[in-house]
Amino acid sequence: MTPRSAKRGLVRPYVITDGRAHPTRNTFDLVTLVSAAQGGDLAGLSPEKRRVMALCRGGSLSVAEVVGHLQIPVSVTKVLLGDLVDSGHILTRSPIPSAELPDIKILQEVLDGLRARL
Amino acid sequence: MTRDIPEAVFWCLLAVALAVVVLLIRERRITARLRGKVKVLEDDVRARDAEVRHLAAVRLPALMESLTGRPVVPGLLHGRLAGSAFATGLHTVLDLFARSTETARERADVSAKSALKSSMRALQGLANEQQLAISEMQERHDDPYVLADLLEIDHTNSQFGRRAQAISVLCGSWPGRQRAASPLVDVVRGATSRIRDYRRVQVHSQVDVAVTSRAVEPIVLAVAELLDNAARHSQPNTSVQVNLQHAHNGVAIVIDDAGVGLLEQEIHRAEQLLAGQQSVDIQKLGDPPQFGFAVIGILADRYGFRVSVDTQSPYGGVRAVVFLPTALLTRVQDDTPRSVPAARPVPAPPAPIRPPLTRRTAPAAAPAPEPAQASAPAPEPAAAQPPAPAPQPAAQPGTQPDPASGPAAEPMTATALGLPKRRRRQPLAENVNPAPEPAEPAAPQGRSASEAAAIMGAFARGTRSGRSCASDATDSTDSTDSTDLEGNSQA
Repeated sequence: MTPRSAKRGLVRPYVITDGRAHPTRNTFDLVTLVSAAQGGDLAGLSPEKRRVMALCRGGSLSVAEVVGHLQIPVSVTKVLLGDLVDSGHILTRSPIPSAELPDIKILQEVLDGLRARL
Repeated sequence: MTRDIPEAVFWCLLAVALAVVVLLIRERRITARLRGKVKVLEDDVRARDAEVRHLAAVRLPALMESLTGRPVVPGLLHGRLAGSAFATGLHTVLDLFARSTETARERADVSAKSALKSSMRALQGLANEQQLAISEMQERHDDPYVLADLLEIDHTNSQFGRRAQAISVLCGSWPGRQRAASPLVDVVRGATSRIRDYRRVQVHSQVDVAVTSRAVEPIVLAVAELLDNAARHSQPNTSVQVNLQHAHNGVAIVIDDAGVGLLEQEIHRAEQLLAGQQSVDIQKLGDPPQFGFAVIGILADRYGFRVSVDTQSPYGGVRAVVFLPTALLTRVQDDTPRSVPAARPVPAPPAPIRPPLTRRTAPAAAPAPEPAQASAPAPEPAAAQPPAPAPQPAAQPGTQPDPASGPAAEPMTATALGLPKRRRRQPLAENVNPAPEPAEPAAPQGRSASEAAAIMGAFARGTRSGRSCASDATDSTDSTDSTDLEGNSQA
């Protein structure tokens, strides 16, 4: 396997984003879920955007996962994702707000209770 | 007797006078001859003086210039001196001068090149190091403002690195930096990364070949020099068009600019440099030195690609064509599957919210050489493949054993070490429809969002009720009923 340092760094991030550092929308979090929209036309997309589309076609992915697969920095990925949302290629879904998530203490107690029972 | 004396005196005097006359005449003749000789010699000396002056003032400077380009060295001033020992002497002087200048120049060239090379290599190393640091910073900071600054630094650093690299190649060094075989598009975009006006470059690709790893860096450098020339010699509001086209036995990179173009003699000079045959004299590159073509020539000669700039672009400027023979090309390889096992842990922590990702567990399972481990990284690469039918194979390993496991259950399997392994979340409709079209999974997302919310809510309520059940310690029946009961009552 090629070491990662040999693969990276050929195409620099400013070329990927065309010099932009600010995403067109500020809605992306690491856990924001993105998925491919229906019928997006891939013509005219940069190779990185195509790869994002290819990743997202398989189902929803979090931004963090897209970053991990693309191997480009988070903030750069957000710029790309912002573009793709603007062009209607992908849909985003915010993560479930933390207020609705179960308390970790309760989960622990459930676990303890289950262990006690079994 | 005394009468004879005057006669005798007369005769003596006559004889003396005769002798004097004869002597005078002879003397005169000798003087005339000598005068003539002296005149000739004087002429000769004057001629040699003039010749020496001519040597110092005209011929040696001309010879000096001829060593740096102009080929004409004037001959002797006085043709009659030709063939004389003096002329031979002068010729020897000229020869010695030429030879010593040549030697001195070569020595200076070698030492200048080696000094430049070592210092440029140091700079190149620093630039690479800095690029690594910048890359790390780009990954560490998730702030658009920081990123904006980093992008600028990165851009400047890349140009800086390219300059250092170009000079060290010119001085006989290798381009450095090992690269993996990369798609041609990425190679061209890599070249774009290293020039000032990268935003004006538009790449149109119709090819899907990759460049072999040893040729990546030289081609990046050569294309970067061409792109830099193109962007530098055209208006800032024009674009530089790059087309990648298949050709016979290779691929052509066509770079068109809408600039001023090249003059006839510039094209001639460029062609000489691009041929890369003769060694480049760094002192002949002008001031400021223009080493673009020279660097390209060296690289082209060394790696076996061809560059020409003799065509006019349809936009009015220069059309530069880089022809890459098949020997430098390879099939484009799908790097996505390879990239998945190589992926680093995600920098930010989604872990508290989500179960561990598969690619995190895969390296953990790697040391154990069990047969189950071999299959562990497999599903993810399949899922990550860009081609359209990929979602279907991705669904196979996880969901096929029980396609009817219900939309609520996230398919969970275990690694060889018994750690839970999370599958890529599938669209819920996929379980209903085992062979979806690639575009279809996106459709039911809206519906599954509410469902997911309901599921999460039910889960939360379930845990709460579970806790209350545990604290009650009276409920010994199955907890699902009570969960539903609680859930319904709370809903």
